[in-house]
Amino acid sequence: MMALPKRPTGADHWTDAGRSPMPSRKDALRRMRDAGYRIAAVLPIYYPRALLRACGFHPVEVWGPVRVDSRGGDLRFQAYTCAIVRNAISLLSEGKLDPADVLLVPHTCDALQGMGSVLGDFVKPHQRVLTLYHPRRGGPAAVSFLVDELRRLQQELSEHGGREPTDADWDEALRVEADADAALAALYRDRVRLPLTDREFYTLVRAREYLPPDEFAALASGVSRGERPQPPGIPLMLSGIVCEPMEVFDQINSVGGRIVADDLACGYRRVYPPVADGPPLERLARALLGAAPDPTRGSPIAERAAALTQRMRETGAKGLLVYDVKFCEPELFDLPRLRAHLAAAGFPMLHVEHELTPAVSQQTLTRVEAFLETLQ
Amino acid sequence: MNASDLPHFAPSNRLSYLLQYELIGRTVLRVQRWNDARKLAAYRPQADDPLTPPLRCVTRMKELMSRHYLEGRYAAGVRPVAWVTSGAPTEILKALDFFLIYPENHAALCGARRKAEALCIEAENAGYSRDLCSYGRTDIGTVLSGKTPVGRLPRPDLLLCCTNICQTVLYWYRTLADYFGVPLVVIDTPFLYGNAQPHQVAYVKRQLEDLVPVAERVAGHRFSEQRFREVVRHARRGAELWLEIMDRSQHRPAPMTAFDGFIHMAPIVDLRGEAVTVDYYETMLAELDERVRRNIGAVRNERFRVLWDNLPIWFRIGPLSKMLALRGVNVVASTYTYAWGELAPLIDESKGFESMANVYLHPILNCSAGHKLRAMQRMVKDFHIDGVILHSDRSCKPYSLGQMDQRERLVAETGVPALLLEADHSDPRSYSDQQGEARLEAFIETMEAAA
Repeated sequence: MMALPKRPTGADHWTDAGRSPMPSRKDALRRMRDAGYRIAAVLPIYYPRALLRACGFHPVEVWGPVRVDSRGGDLRFQAYTCAIVRNAISLLSEGKLDPADVLLVPHTCDALQGMGSVLGDFVKPHQRVLTLYHPRRGGPAAVSFLVDELRRLQQELSEHGGREPTDADWDEALRVEADADAALAALYRDRVRLPLTDREFYTLVRAREYLPPDEFAALASGVSRGERPQPPGIPLMLSGIVCEPMEVFDQINSVGGRIVADDLACGYRRVYPPVADGPPLERLARALLGAAPDPTRGSPIAERAAALTQRMRETGAKGLLVYDVKFCEPELFDLPRLRAHLAAAGFPMLHVEHELTPAVSQQTLTRVEAFLETLQ
Repeated sequence: MNASDLPHFAPSNRLSYLLQYELIGRTVLRVQRWNDARKLAAYRPQADDPLTPPLRCVTRMKELMSRHYLEGRYAAGVRPVAWVTSGAPTEILKALDFFLIYPENHAALCGARRKAEALCIEAENAGYSRDLCSYGRTDIGTVLSGKTPVGRLPRPDLLLCCTNICQTVLYWYRTLADYFGVPLVVIDTPFLYGNAQPHQVAYVKRQLEDLVPVAERVAGHRFSEQRFREVVRHARRGAELWLEIMDRSQHRPAPMTAFDGFIHMAPIVDLRGEAVTVDYYETMLAELDERVRRNIGAVRNERFRVLWDNLPIWFRIGPLSKMLALRGVNVVASTYTYAWGELAPLIDESKGFESMANVYLHPILNCSAGHKLRAMQRMVKDFHIDGVILHSDRSCKPYSLGQMDQRERLVAETGVPALLLEADHSDPRSYSDQQGEARLEAFIETMEAAA
């Protein structure tokens, strides 16, 4: 296997304030394959990037893309199943995941549990289907279990075309992924100093889903920082699993809002705390368990509300816009209590749902606009 | 946990408990059972009734469950109270003399009595989406409104949530914990895509061990190993008897229907690990054996034998049972009722928490879609099944996702017709009688054509 290319080849243009096209998934995937990596298509939310990398796999995430013919998913899952799962199955049935060598389906919720199970037992795609169970609690038992679970995953990756990682592989993988994580955290920290629109910011954040880590780190670090006037609009925090289509950011801007913070599963919830000590698997387990509160991992609602409140105060957000994929039980169950906690702290909340379709409904935008009016 | 988390045992509560529950309540319920038994003995079904008379033991079951909920009305402040999920390792709490409320069972009861819709609406008015599980909405509606057909539910001192049936319970119990401000213990059971791995068993075992000191603290006394073993012994015997009861329906004609099973499973859920449950199922088994000896079927003219997959449609149990029986269809088995017995062989009181960890990892809902398909295929063979109804339950995603493939495989590999019936276990707004009946009629015609 060849070493990772040291210099990014597709990212340089984008650092000019986001005016050139972002390197595409296809391009990143081709380059990583040329560099000797195997490809892992990964479903949401949490997984150990450095483990995959150390085993010679490049992860490319699948968050149920919006532009997909959903018939493949409709044949296998009922209409009350979330669109992330149905769209991902559709994508698979259209052959668009064929470049992947393995599919990794983390056990995030009942819907992804069903998907992992159906893929492994019935669909049996040409790729090996791997799963990962993330603990729903903290404490020593959870750390110990997750270390064992990661060890199992490592073994399976090695058995299916990956390599048994050497110490050097681990050092390299942990280093580049830690650099990329740090670059992602810095993007959030420096948000107000970046010359990026909301859509550009989240296009960059989400490039972490498929770019090689060093390429992402270079891209994120290369965005210029500086004092700049705040763009117009009422500052909001955005919550949910995934915010699609990307045009929704422009549309929120157009009705007078701007996103200053998020609690997105594809965003801030995966800004992992740095864990520098300990054996590799334990470091990864501690980082995964130390991420921001998330209902899918069983975080207490009050803890989640406190974390949101603190970040809203820090970033100046005036309200919380919850933009949920329909049928998402972990998110939906939290809302009334979350609303109560946030109201007690002086933050209003609006909940809207979407179905991962290419267009945002006018009704949704009208509701967002009305919400913004109440915040003025 | 601080002092304010601990239950307060007040003498006035104790007096009320003794008087209202122990003395008056139990006596009234006993008398009511005698009356019910007399009426049932005198009951003569009409000639065109497609069902034979109910099992005699049903009067005892009603007494047991009424007694349970009656005790619940007076339990707060007298016994430590825990609200638990149906698949939770309750033996530990029973050994510490907790009074247990099963919100899922309570929600099922509300569904069967057609009170669930109003309670769901209470929850929806408070912001809970209609897309959420109707058990969860029913329970939250009860918590918010105080309304329940059983009078009153005791406030919990502890919440115990085991994820071996779904992740929904995790979100639901986090909500309860936030609302009540009491400790929530999560027993996290990794989903089994294949065979259980040693690290998965070890993880669950460690969590069971961690539960003990928390429960001791709430109960205010120490855990008794001897009492625990006794509870586990009863749990095993109860599950064995329940399994035998289910298996009696392999006989043709089947002495009971799965709809009877949905009703009679209440003790194995709510009163698991109690001697009274063992007594009850011994009585029930004896009655079924008598029916088998006398060749009495639950459906007078049993023409077709059907397997039911998933939870029942609680608010339509009676009408569906009768509609199918009128056409000679007996739903003789269900994956749902079977789930409460099939793990009996894994229960071993001599192996303590290790055995429990293994048991609580293996409910059908914690195993893969392929595992459930194989279980259904076995049941098709063992119960001489002519067709399968897969209830596509909008409220139970882990049970329902995978059914489209399972249906296809069942038809292809066992040769029996299989129907996907869209409904909900408790919310009648998600079920259309007209469409449901039309689909069932077509399904019966398919069985007739194949006969």
